Amino acid sequence: MAVITISREPGVGGEEIAARLAGKLGFLLVDKTHLTRLWREINLDDVKLSAVDERIPSAEQILSDETEACARLLPDLLAQLAEEHDLVIVGRGGQALFRNRPGTLHVRIGGARDFRVRQLQDKEGLSAREARRQIRELENQRSRYVRFLYHLNWADTTLYDLILRMDRLSIEQALNLIVAAAEGMRLSAVPKWQIVESLLPEVAEQRGEGPFVNEAEREFAHFLEFYRIPYEYEPRTFILETDAEGKTAEAFTPDFYLPEQNLYIELTTMKQSLVTRKNRKVRKLRRLYPDVNIRIFYQRDFQTLLAKYGLLTNQSRQDADAPRNN
Amino acid sequence: MKPLSQDITEVLITEERIEKRVAEMGREVASTYQESLPLLVGVLKGCALFMADLVRRIDIPLEVDFIAIQSYGGFSQSTSGAVGITKDLDSPIEGRDVLVVEGIVDTGMTISYLLRNLEARQPHTIRLCAFLDKPARRIVRVPISFRGFEIPDRFVVGYGLDFNQHYRNLPYIGVLSNEVTGLTYGK
Repeated sequence: MAVITISREPGVGGEEIAARLAGKLGFLLVDKTHLTRLWREINLDDVKLSAVDERIPSAEQILSDETEACARLLPDLLAQLAEEHDLVIVGRGGQALFRNRPGTLHVRIGGARDFRVRQLQDKEGLSAREARRQIRELENQRSRYVRFLYHLNWADTTLYDLILRMDRLSIEQALNLIVAAAEGMRLSAVPKWQIVESLLPEVAEQRGEGPFVNEAEREFAHFLEFYRIPYEYEPRTFILETDAEGKTAEAFTPDFYLPEQNLYIELTTMKQSLVTRKNRKVRKLRRLYPDVNIRIFYQRDFQTLLAKYGLLTNQSRQDADAPRNN
Repeated sequence: MKPLSQDITEVLITEERIEKRVAEMGREVASTYQESLPLLVGVLKGCALFMADLVRRIDIPLEVDFIAIQSYGGFSQSTSGAVGITKDLDSPIEGRDVLVVEGIVDTGMTISYLLRNLEARQPHTIRLCAFLDKPARRIVRVPISFRGFEIPDRFVVGYGLDFNQHYRNLPYIGVLSNEVTGLTYGK
């Protein structure tokens, strides 16, 4: 079924836009009210929902197993709903959960900070200082939520198909733009099998064991996770050369992408002769894709990282010396 | 016991240069915080010596606190899977002008985690003061407002910086020999 996710910056009235959009299109609105009802239907109490609805306890608080289980239940509920209804989902990491799902439109509704502060002041009768504080707090909560569940950066613009600035648009104009985008993308025309096939990997967790081809990659992924740095593993292949028929003759898939840094990292723990070839590929990539930031993490970088944490053993030196197939 | 200095292949920054630079940094910090009462947050344990010297060179009122976070223990050892704070600040920092004092910034991962964590507590301002900056190894970009020295990609110890908890007490910044670190590249 068709899904429109609405990610809203605090203070732009995103809930109202989502509600009117759902009414206009005849889609089911998934917001706090609807989730509370669903939650009650499966006999869970509201207190547990409010502890994990678009929020995750901060880094310094301990996350209990029960809270974590509740937090991870929400995406399952949303995925199930999307199989049965056309949806407009307000927040809740919908843009990350359904990131590459066909038949889905991801909208971000934002606006200049001062504008949002004023809006919130008017709506809630707050002082500017208090409005700013509330906005910051909500932003922190939502970005932590998306980072925790999906290892993604909430503010990353590549998560959205359409970004609207409410300090420049009326609600009516915003609605028209979203409806036009939904029609243009032919959301409702996407066959169901295509959607179902795309769903499973989106919810998968990156926990280190994953798809890594060697110990160095696994250790590096674990290191990123330890410091809570969102990453994606081999998300993109860059075509470096095509043959006369337009088929790919040479391509390069960097190992990691750090969305918050907009940085690709190629981890190479190979011998020097192979590194030279890889360096050549990276140079070519930089020439062809000048906007792409990429860094090679050499064997010595990796060794230093391990040494710094007292983890450089004879075994890891041997592992690092072994030739790799990437 | 053999002297620590035997494991050092090169003195990268002498005591004299450290003393001179720290005095300059103290003046830079003081002029930035003329209008407020800054809270200097030292990141344990690497900051210890630098922090002690720096605060004595800042000639304005200030407050001091410390924070420590768990160190990465490797894929096999680390069970919880994520970094945590092992010694938190003693008091809230909401609305304060916070200066985070760090011994060295290299990949930027540790300090970016800390800055994110502290920013969430809504200080009025938050800046970073790093004694050493090793930009060649940076993965996560972090804005450094006060920088002692930019250093090349060498394994350094001393002046608070350790290898397996040792060498912090060297009074200078030295390059540790590969025989000790186990590294197989470079000198």
